[in-house]
Amino acid sequence: MPQTLSTREANLFRTVIRHYEDKQYKRGLKAAEQILKKNPKHGDTMSMKALILNAQGKTEEAFGLAKDALTIDMKSYICWHVYGILYRTNKNFDEAIKAYKFALKLEPDSHQIQRDLAVLQVQMRDYPGYIQSRLVMLKARPQLRQNWTALAIAYHLDGNLQQAENILSTYEKSVTAAPLRTDFENSEALLYKNSIIAEMGDFERALEHLEAECKACLDRLAVMELRARYLAELGRKEDAAKAYRALLDRNSEHPDYYKALVDALGIAADDETALKAVYDEYAAKNPRCDAAKRLPLDFLSGDGFRAAAKAYLTLMFDKGVPSTFANLKHLYSDNFKKETLPILAEEYLEEHRGNSSTNGDSSKGEGAALYFLGQHYNYFMSRDLSKATEYVEKAIELDPKNVDFHMTKARIFKHQGEIAKAAEAMDRARSLDTRDRYINSKAAKYQLRNDENEKALATMGLFTRAETVGGPLVDLTDMQCIWFLTEDGEAWQRRGDIGLALKRYHTIFNIFDIWQEDQFDFHSFSLRKGQIRAYIDLVRWEDQLRGHPFYFRAALDAVSLYLSMHDKPQNGANGVEGSHTNGDDAAAEKKKAAKKARKEAQKAEREAAEKAAKQDPNKGGAQKSKDGEEVKKKDEDPNGVKLAATTDPLGDAMKFLLHLLQFSPKNIEGQIAGFEVYIRRNKYLPALRCLKASLALDKDHPKVSEQATRLRKALEGAVDSLAPKTKEVIESELATVPGA
Amino acid sequence: MDIRLLRSSDIPLIQHANLENLPENYFLKYYLYHALSWPQLSYVAVDVSRPPKTPYDYPKIVGYVLAKMEEEPADGVQHGHITSLSVMRTHRRLGIAEKLMRQSQQAMVETFGGHYVSLHVRVSNKAAIHLYRDTLGFKTEKTESKYYADGEDAFCMKLELDFIREQLREEQLEEAGEGADKKKIKGEETAEDGENVDEGEAVGDVGRDPAKGSTAKADQKIKVKVGRGLGVGELIEKDESKHS
Repeated sequence: MPQTLSTREANLFRTVIRHYEDKQYKRGLKAAEQILKKNPKHGDTMSMKALILNAQGKTEEAFGLAKDALTIDMKSYICWHVYGILYRTNKNFDEAIKAYKFALKLEPDSHQIQRDLAVLQVQMRDYPGYIQSRLVMLKARPQLRQNWTALAIAYHLDGNLQQAENILSTYEKSVTAAPLRTDFENSEALLYKNSIIAEMGDFERALEHLEAECKACLDRLAVMELRARYLAELGRKEDAAKAYRALLDRNSEHPDYYKALVDALGIAADDETALKAVYDEYAAKNPRCDAAKRLPLDFLSGDGFRAAAKAYLTLMFDKGVPSTFANLKHLYSDNFKKETLPILAEEYLEEHRGNSSTNGDSSKGEGAALYFLGQHYNYFMSRDLSKATEYVEKAIELDPKNVDFHMTKARIFKHQGEIAKAAEAMDRARSLDTRDRYINSKAAKYQLRNDENEKALATMGLFTRAETVGGPLVDLTDMQCIWFLTEDGEAWQRRGDIGLALKRYHTIFNIFDIWQEDQFDFHSFSLRKGQIRAYIDLVRWEDQLRGHPFYFRAALDAVSLYLSMHDKPQNGANGVEGSHTNGDDAAAEKKKAAKKARKEAQKAEREAAEKAAKQDPNKGGAQKSKDGEEVKKKDEDPNGVKLAATTDPLGDAMKFLLHLLQFSPKNIEGQIAGFEVYIRRNKYLPALRCLKASLALDKDHPKVSEQATRLRKALEGAVDSLAPKTKEVIESELATVPGA
Repeated sequence: MDIRLLRSSDIPLIQHANLENLPENYFLKYYLYHALSWPQLSYVAVDVSRPPKTPYDYPKIVGYVLAKMEEEPADGVQHGHITSLSVMRTHRRLGIAEKLMRQSQQAMVETFGGHYVSLHVRVSNKAAIHLYRDTLGFKTEKTESKYYADGEDAFCMKLELDFIREQLREEQLEEAGEGADKKKIKGEETAEDGENVDEGEAVGDVGRDPAKGSTAKADQKIKVKVGRGLGVGELIEKDESKHS
């Protein structure tokens, strides 16, 4: 039963809400206490108090109180609403949805609850639920265009394109006054509708709609690109060619436009002269354009290639462009091109050598050519490391302070397997330009490759924000610096510090959680901003988020580390890996160093914890946590001690593995790792599934036949524990796997 | 190399390029905030020459410009602002930065009716200053002392975009010249000042811009509601009026 308060207390209750909304938590709590003094069992007040506690970071207390409030007053929508908010702020969206639905049942007319629920539904990709919510919201306020657009989005994301279009059209028909040309929401809504028509594959109608309705749209580039594409799709080649020419006039560095223009012009793929003429036209029109000069090297052959490549290299070397090799190395899949380019560079050197007296700037060209050749011989498809060294040394002789030259020298050392020398050389390159973060990052990366974690962090610290509490590592974590965390974790893993390695991989896991949650606010933000196409693009990308190679690498590292933990159980809590099979002095030395480092870290941790404990969190101090500011949660396990102490490494690996298999099923490394985890857990069917996936991806992969043999063996040993039917299925499937 | 519009899926590698190149870094959400508020303004340069190793690879970003419209311009004039611009050291001297900037400037005028574009640059960054002033035509408005977290001053630079507006007008006249009356276009011009009424409320923080308001003393910072509270409430912007 809803409980009633006296007028005075009802007023007080309203102040509680106001204080909460103004983030005046202490005042809010005070007012709530006043009500509870007289009405200790007032559910709504208890809930509000819970909400404030939650905002102050006292999550557990908040949940306890909110639950008590619910048992006292099950019929209060406020109690359910608060319960939902608690779950939502603690990222348990499924439970939040359930609570919101209860609240909504009790208070069907609450816009706020309905809106919050809708956002949760789209966040969780419950599209049918989202459609329902948006329908209700539209009926409540049909005069708002946002509500129509939102419903269209709901249908669109659910795959019902036709209904999405209908909704948008219905709104358009209801508007009588012509929208202003500067009405951005209108402009974007029209283009959104156009994109839906195109997505249905009806380019005829899409073009018609674009030309009739979208001519004045403010996103001019989009209108031009869509029109060009539709014309091309419809085979209206002459118009398409004209449209792509207009696009090239805007941006002559976009290869897709050239390709589309060539298609529209109907030039045969082997008609090199005609193709070249198209690009030459734009090279002449835009003297500073790179694409028009470089792209023909992709399709030219023989003497045509030689002449064009010579002209291109000469231009690039004369200008001293350092990226010349990077922009051409993709041509190396063609043997002729791979052999021709260094010859041309040599010719250039011949012509320019020693000219420096006549032309003051020719050392620039000479340096660029030497640099090109150095990179050429360092590249894996044309590698000759002694020649590479020779050219780079010559380049350095010419310009001893050139960062790029020294950087390449470091790369050559790396390819020679001289990791320590490589790190040293990269640091030397760094010292030549201490204001450039790029070379600083590279130096740190090479230090990590050389297992110098502490040194690398100090190097990184030269560019992180000095005032960040906790130092460079906290700043790099806050700023979501994935590459550093990955390399740092891998180095700790090589050094045998399981705790810190796991810590880094889990940090990356958490960053991806944040990235996934980042979209939350945009479900409503984008509706207000009206940039619907960009929003749809975001939602679709977020659906694939954990397929990102950044995630894959760290997750695969984590899985393989957990596998080795399972195979070689540790004694110590933060187990430093036992010395490897070739356990020599160096390994023992490393072990000792790691142990020492860990001890120091633990000491620092203890001291930090003591310091934190002495500090009243409500009084502020180093970590400001004023009333109203979000409290930054303390890391309970900064060195991964607890992570490393796991008794179930295979179970922990699953958290990473499931993502690998779900989001990157076509990456064979993930499937191979999946087999390794499953076979150790005696899960033969999933192991077989991974094996079959690997087989389909690359039947010649050496791991495939090895894993097949192991699965067969494992099956033989497990005759008793397996259902005969299961065994039969697996065996018949295995029969098709070679080597099994 | 390919110069094209930024997409959401590019953002992790844009953030990567930013972290590798520049000391001013941002949360992923701050990039999203740009990509979802002004998707027409931000461009990337992509290295298309690397063959993808798996079907899940994203194109490598070798340069980017992250740009926005000032949501509540102090002078009341619609204008764009460059939040961050960077080109990998390995891809310099190809004019990438200039090309990225020009694409962005074009869209600032076309899509959002921007009158000028502003930016901040470290006073010691000679290469960037050369690009802005000599190649693109920016003028130095003023020096903001200790703008950057490490205490360095910034030049506040500005480029009027009339030349793009002029071009656009000519193009529109040409198009309209094919039979239509020119008055219509003039009428539309004036509509440019028509407001986009945008009512919204804060939806939590959208990343942060640590390059801003990060000077020594906390009491020099004030919180300014940016963008009519459009979900960027936690952004701390420096109070520029103090320095002007």
